[in-house]
Amino acid sequence: MDLAQLPSDFAQWRTAFARQWRFYLRTSRFLGLLLFVLIVVVAFTAVSIYQHDSGASGADYMYGAAGELGTFGIIIGAFIGGDAIAMDFGSGTGYFMLVLPVKRLVLLLGRFAAAFVTSLILIVVFFCVPLLGGIYFWGVAGIPWLGFGESVLLAALYALAVLSTAFFFSALFRTPAVSMVATILILFLGFVIVDAVVGTSLGYEPWFSLLYAGSVIGLPLVAQPHHTVMTTHIGAGRTITTHTWFPYIWEGVVILVAYFVIFLVISAVIYQYKETKG
Amino acid sequence: MVRIEVEALTKRYGYGRARGLPALDGVSFSYEGSGAIGYLGPNGAGKTTTLKLLTGLLRPTAGVARIDGVDVRVHPKRAMADVGAVIETPEPYPSQTVAESIEMVSEFRGGKTRNIAREIGDLHEKLDLPPLDQRTGRLSKGQRQRVVIAAALIRNPGAIILDEPTNGLDPKERILIRNLLSELKKDHLILMSSHLMQEVTEICDQVIFINQGKLLLRDTVENVATRFQSRAVDVEFAEPLPLERLAKLGSLIRTVTPLSDRRYRFAFDGSVSTRAEILTNCVGIAPVVTYESASLALEDAYLSLMQANGNNHPAS
Repeated sequence: MDLAQLPSDFAQWRTAFARQWRFYLRTSRFLGLLLFVLIVVVAFTAVSIYQHDSGASGADYMYGAAGELGTFGIIIGAFIGGDAIAMDFGSGTGYFMLVLPVKRLVLLLGRFAAAFVTSLILIVVFFCVPLLGGIYFWGVAGIPWLGFGESVLLAALYALAVLSTAFFFSALFRTPAVSMVATILILFLGFVIVDAVVGTSLGYEPWFSLLYAGSVIGLPLVAQPHHTVMTTHIGAGRTITTHTWFPYIWEGVVILVAYFVIFLVISAVIYQYKETKG
Repeated sequence: MVRIEVEALTKRYGYGRARGLPALDGVSFSYEGSGAIGYLGPNGAGKTTTLKLLTGLLRPTAGVARIDGVDVRVHPKRAMADVGAVIETPEPYPSQTVAESIEMVSEFRGGKTRNIAREIGDLHEKLDLPPLDQRTGRLSKGQRQRVVIAAALIRNPGAIILDEPTNGLDPKERILIRNLLSELKKDHLILMSSHLMQEVTEICDQVIFINQGKLLLRDTVENVATRFQSRAVDVEFAEPLPLERLAKLGSLIRTVTPLSDRRYRFAFDGSVSTRAEILTNCVGIAPVVTYESASLALEDAYLSLMQANGNNHPAS
């Protein structure tokens, strides 16, 4: 057997993708996430009956669903991609996979594609149930289809960015469980705290925050002001000023693309040079 | 024919001030063609480090590891094209079945769908694999080890690199692997580390001894056996024999240790002529049933080399 008999990088990428995807679909975490997403969107749709009665439009309703995806997208991405690289260094999987005649970059991109498609399934489920609810309450004509389509595309881009970031954290750790927990804590709590401190309290636009960029998903459905300042009187002449920020759509896209590209490149470099010592 | 070559291979773990002594220190060797090479040394000697460097799992601090002339570090895909490897304790994806794990490796190696089932069937028979539809996450250690060995052998690579391949296997499984490797070495190049001298003696044609990251000795098993001839023989007579009757052996032996009423261990100077004379004299005393070295030649070589190298705690 020689190199001439080995498949091309692209053929090996397809193998890596197909095998990893099958692996993801069989994991209990995928089934758990699917159940979780279903519960959330069904509950949301049920609550929307009230929205419908209160005179909200189909766009408002769809915005409510899409707006939640910023947070759930992080949970989905962290669970799916949080151990994608660590699994090769914290368990024996690396000893099985990394001695094969396959470039590590090919393995990484295969895994990434599998993680993306798996996340996309969950995102589609996330959108589908509210969409059906929207059609039921407001009719086909009541749904802002163009905005909805843009919103889905932005959600897909957001998934790429979240997964890239999750892969990066996964490359930093050796134990899959630690890697996943750290990824969830950093992406979920970390960005919530940063957005609250920097954006809401201090009044600086948190343009560097993935969660902030993720809020762009609902904007094609309902436009929001870029910056809103609210001053609340709390008595004795004292006031509290809070800021609300929404990215411009182009700005959100740029931030998400930057997260996707930068963290995927760094992950690939770390994966390429990481040694299997354990 | 595959060529495995390491040249002044050195590996130090850690960075900066934390960088310790070299785990591997300027080791060089090369093999080409077919046969089995045993890679021996105590725990921490650098055996696994060498094999990891050879398979691209680690990056060398200095030196180079090549397979078929291709630097493993620079072109891992090309270098590993004709190599099957089992290093440490590999684990396929736990949710994959036995067949899927081996199929995946076959696909990565360019296996054609129409041939994969037949190839897996062959390996299933040779390695007594667990049921092919069983999830690998539910296999015992021995079953999983046989699956990863099967995955290493799929598509019939020319070189096979094994890190203690029978570790964790029961005696029946060990014999199975031992017989398979003995068969494979006829037209494959096998480099295997092991702690089991019996295994290396039975499978390997050549041996490399390594300790504290340095290569101590590299030779054929036969030459090593001659050089480190055992200095004690065990003799089993056909009938119970009182100790006094052994007086005839006189100055040929240094000490006599009774192992049973028919079996004795004689220590001597280790020379081939004395060894032959002891046998002649024993046959003169009573019929001899067995006459064998008290320990394996490789074991003696191993112990001598480790003692000479200042390692008083060689691995068992």
